Amino acid sequence: MTRPTFAAISSVLVEKFKVDAAKIEPATSLEQLGLDSLALMEFVFAVEDRFDVRIPEERLDPRQAGVTLEQLALLIDEAVAVRPGSDAAAA
Amino acid sequence: MAPAGRSVRPGGPIAVTGAGVVSPIGNSLAAFDAALFAGRSAVHARILDLPGIELPPVPVASADFDAAAVEAPSRVPLDRATAMALAAARDAARAAGLAPGGFDPERLGIFWGSGMAGAATFEATCRTVYADRRRMRPTSVVTTMPNAPVAEIALAFAARGAALAYACACASSAVAIGEAMRAIRAGWIDVAIAGGSESMLTPGVLASWQAMRVLVPLGAAASDAAAVAACCRPFAAERNGFALGEAAAAYVLESPAHAAARGARTDAILAGYASNCDGVHITQPDASGQARAMIAALADAGLAASDIGYLNAHGTATTAGDAAEAESIARVFGPGGVPVSSTKAIHGHLLGAGGAVELLASLRALAAGCLPMNANTIEADPAFDLDLISRASRPSPDLRHALCSSFAFGGTNAVLIASRA
Repeated sequence: MTRPTFAAISSVLVEKFKVDAAKIEPATSLEQLGLDSLALMEFVFAVEDRFDVRIPEERLDPRQAGVTLEQLALLIDEAVAVRPGSDAAAA
Repeated sequence: MAPAGRSVRPGGPIAVTGAGVVSPIGNSLAAFDAALFAGRSAVHARILDLPGIELPPVPVASADFDAAAVEAPSRVPLDRATAMALAAARDAARAAGLAPGGFDPERLGIFWGSGMAGAATFEATCRTVYADRRRMRPTSVVTTMPNAPVAEIALAFAARGAALAYACACASSAVAIGEAMRAIRAGWIDVAIAGGSESMLTPGVLASWQAMRVLVPLGAAASDAAAVAACCRPFAAERNGFALGEAAAAYVLESPAHAAARGARTDAILAGYASNCDGVHITQPDASGQARAMIAALADAGLAASDIGYLNAHGTATTAGDAAEAESIARVFGPGGVPVSSTKAIHGHLLGAGGAVELLASLRALAAGCLPMNANTIEADPAFDLDLISRASRPSPDLRHALCSSFAFGGTNAVLIASRA
C-alpha cells in the first residue's frame, strides 16, 4: 500500500462522508466506519473516481465483513498499475 | 344523495402553526410577501442546453437556492426538489416550534406532493449513461424515487405516524395538504408536516413542456428581460401560456387541541378541502368538475360562496385553461362574485408544488388583509365574468376566508379553503 493512496482514501472519508479522522487507520475495517451499505458503495465509487480506476466486482464486495482500508488501498494500487496509459502499464 | 366526494357536513378546522417556503419570489415569508403584493415577477429566459438540438429559449422562474448546503438526514445525495422540501419543512417546523421531544412521533405524519420528484436527478442520471458513458451511482434509485422528499422529511423529524407521497400532477401538493387535514380530523394522527416540492427546470423537461405548446413562446422578446418577466398573463384576452417554476412550501398542521396543548400559536385555519376528478379528458379542463370541487370544499368548510373574499385561481394563462376556470368560478360564485387572481404570473407554474405555494399566497392575503394582484394583465378577457384583481393588489381588511384551486392534468381537482385564525 502506498502512502499517497491511503491519504487520498482518508480524505474522501473525512470530506465526503464526514468520518472522524481519528477512526481512520490502515487496519480499520469498512464496517467500523459507521457507513451503511449504500454509503459504502458510494465510498468505493468515490475512491475509484479519485484514481480513475475500477476495481473488478469479484475482487471487492465492500459489504463483506473484515475488509480493511489497507486492503482497499492495495486494490487501488493494483488497479492504478494496470490502468491504460499509466507508467506501470507502459513499462 | 350527495354528489360523490362531497361532504354532507363540515369536516372541522385544522390549525396552521408554521409555514416555510423556497420559491422564485423568495425563501422567507417577508421576501415572498414583498414580491407577492407588488406583483414582481421572477420569470426570465432560459436557453436549453441540448447537444445537437436547437430550440428557442423558454421562460422559467427559478429559485435562488443552494441545494448543496442542505444536510441530508439519509446521507444520500439529494435531488434539488428534495433539498428544497427539507429546507421548507425545517423552516415550517421552526416557525411552529415543533422540535424533537415536543411531540409524539407516532402521532406525526408527513404528507407530500410532487409531480415528478427526482426528475432533475433522473435526467442527469440518463445523461451520465447515454451521453457521458459513465456508470450509474448506487444511490440513483433512492435519490430519484418519487417519495424521496417525504422519506427525507420523515427521517429528519423521526415521524412514525405516516409518510405518504402524492403524485397528481399540478394538484399534488394541494391533495397532500388536504389528505393531511383528513388524517388529523379522523384522529389517525395529531400533527402533520404537509406540502409539496418540484424542481425540474432541466433541458429535457423544459423541451417536453415546450413541445406541448403550453409555455409562452418568447420569440424576439427573449432578450428583453422586462418583456420576459411580464410574459405570463393569466385571464388576459392575449394570454398564451405559462413559465415553468421550481419551489417547495411546507406547513405544520395540527388539530386545534394538539396546538393548544403544546401552546403553539395558530397562524391560520384550514377550513375546507375537496378533491374529485373530471373523468373526461387527460388534459382538457372541465368546468363542471372544477365547480363540483369548489362546491364540495365550501360544504366541507361549512361556508357559503358569498363568505369567500379571495380566490387564488389555478390560472395557468392557457387559452383553454383560463376559459374553463372563469366559467367554473362564475357558476359557483355568480358573475363577478369573488375577487380573483392567479399568482402564476410572477412565480411561474410550480406544478406539484403549485397548490402549496398558492395556499401560502392565500394565507399571506389573510394575514395582510390584502388581495395579491394578478400581475401582467391590465384587463380580464372581456369574454369572462370575473372580478380580476388587476393593476395592483387590493386592500381587504375584512377578508376572512380564501379559496385556492389546483386543477391537474389527469383530471384531478383539489380545492383548499383557508380562514383567518
